[in-house]
Amino acid sequence: MKCSAPPETPVKYVEAVVWLPYHYVAGDYRAVYLRALKDKKILGSRCDVTKKVFVPPVINSPESFAPCSELVQVSDQGRITTFCIVNIPVIGRNLELPYVAASVLLDGADIPIFALIQECRTEDVHMGMRVEAVWKPDGQRQGDHEDILYFRPSQSSSSGEWPRPI
Amino acid sequence: MPQLRNVAIVAFAQLPVVARDEHRTATEMLYLAVRQALEQCQARRDDIDYQIAGSTDYMDGRPFGFVTALESLGSWPPRQDLHLEMDGTFCAYYAWLRMQAGDCETALVVAHGKVSEGDPRRVTNLQMDPYYHAPLGIDAIASSALQASMYMARTGVGDHELARVAARNRAHGARNPDNQVRAVATAEELQSTPFVVEPLRQGYLAPVGETATCLILAVEGKAERMCDRPVWIHGVDHRSELQTLGARDLSRSAGARLASERALALAGLDRADQVDLAELAATNPAEEMVLCDALGLDPFASRPVLNPSGGPLCADPVMSTGLIRLGEAFRQLAGRAGERTVSGAEMALVHGQQGHCLQTNIVWICGTRRRWS
Repeated sequence: MKCSAPPETPVKYVEAVVWLPYHYVAGDYRAVYLRALKDKKILGSRCDVTKKVFVPPVINSPESFAPCSELVQVSDQGRITTFCIVNIPVIGRNLELPYVAASVLLDGADIPIFALIQECRTEDVHMGMRVEAVWKPDGQRQGDHEDILYFRPSQSSSSGEWPRPI
Repeated sequence: MPQLRNVAIVAFAQLPVVARDEHRTATEMLYLAVRQALEQCQARRDDIDYQIAGSTDYMDGRPFGFVTALESLGSWPPRQDLHLEMDGTFCAYYAWLRMQAGDCETALVVAHGKVSEGDPRRVTNLQMDPYYHAPLGIDAIASSALQASMYMARTGVGDHELARVAARNRAHGARNPDNQVRAVATAEELQSTPFVVEPLRQGYLAPVGETATCLILAVEGKAERMCDRPVWIHGVDHRSELQTLGARDLSRSAGARLASERALALAGLDRADQVDLAELAATNPAEEMVLCDALGLDPFASRPVLNPSGGPLCADPVMSTGLIRLGEAFRQLAGRAGERTVSGAEMALVHGQQGHCLQTNIVWICGTRRRWS
């Protein structure tokens, strides 16, 4: 059989849309952690052996391999352990440039979380700077990470002993 | 035949297979399995030299999900680690190779996957090529039906034989507390279930389920100290065939045949029916019959006992199904199989697979005695 002439515009690509829906189980620890955000509480879990506190809570210490049997509350204030100043737009968020993305070690925690820093000039951010969480107003928190809008320079001093068992 | 290093299975742990674990993420499930396996052989985490995991990000919907698994494996101080986008049985093969190369003496082999969080039929569709097969909507059930049809046409095997194979698996599976499906069903009952994709009926298909599994391997010298009845690897071979379904005779498994011939030869056996039991990773009765054909086993014989665990028809947690077969051989030969114990069993054949219609096959031969002195 003889082939007909190739199309004038060659077919160079095949379009394919991959649609894969997922619904993730939170896991019991993460579910309690997310629920507590609604009450402006940040939870971690404490390693049975080293007593280090992980935020968000994990069921075992990645370091010691021991279980983390106890959930504890940590502060919503902490210190910047490292940061960067972002001058390019980030996918999925509409933030005014430049902005500071920082690693914040919350009081009572042994590993930092990542956070957006606002309400200060980028050039004023420094290592060890005290920051505090700014929460969504009461009634608007959903129990997800958006409940903390961002962190800002601390306006109050840290109070109490951390971590607190719950 | 070459003299190889004697390697043994010294522990195996799994969570009971369930349709959906509402309480744990995949890696949280894995942590429990790893702890159980280490406790079985009274090993500390630092006693294990090497770790290897089998999982698939498509199934979990978590890019680089295997990296998350590192945190469940006790990966500090930094470990020698490998990940395969394959069933854990292939991970065991790589660990065994590393031991043959002298790189390590003990290994954690794990598999995990939360099938319930995604859509397995969409994922198995994406295993096909994106030009011709995937747009047709072929998934693993459809490709299995094409294979079943071809096998039945070639051999004259009918619906009732498929039902009998399924019923035998279900009867065995009722005695395995780790199974998702534990209800006995007769061939007549299974043959009266509706067609899903003809010629495959609902009663011939594996349930969708999830678990996490951990198997521990150790070399001679260490294995005996970790386990009172270590189960030794006598032979293993792994063969992959073409992806294109039309390029293969789906009514036969050339890869499984070759893998079993090589594994049996390494084990010093002539035929597959010289073993006492076989655990086959076939996900429907037609595929099991294709596999028996390739291995030289009679699906209706009383010995070797086929799938004393109940096989994948009673629990088919993707990524772990093959590793469970190896774990079952360990439990049988190490006297830990409870009510489903095959009396007097000393040798087992273990099959694992990946891909559509037995595309990739691995065959293990295991025994209660060391292979090489």
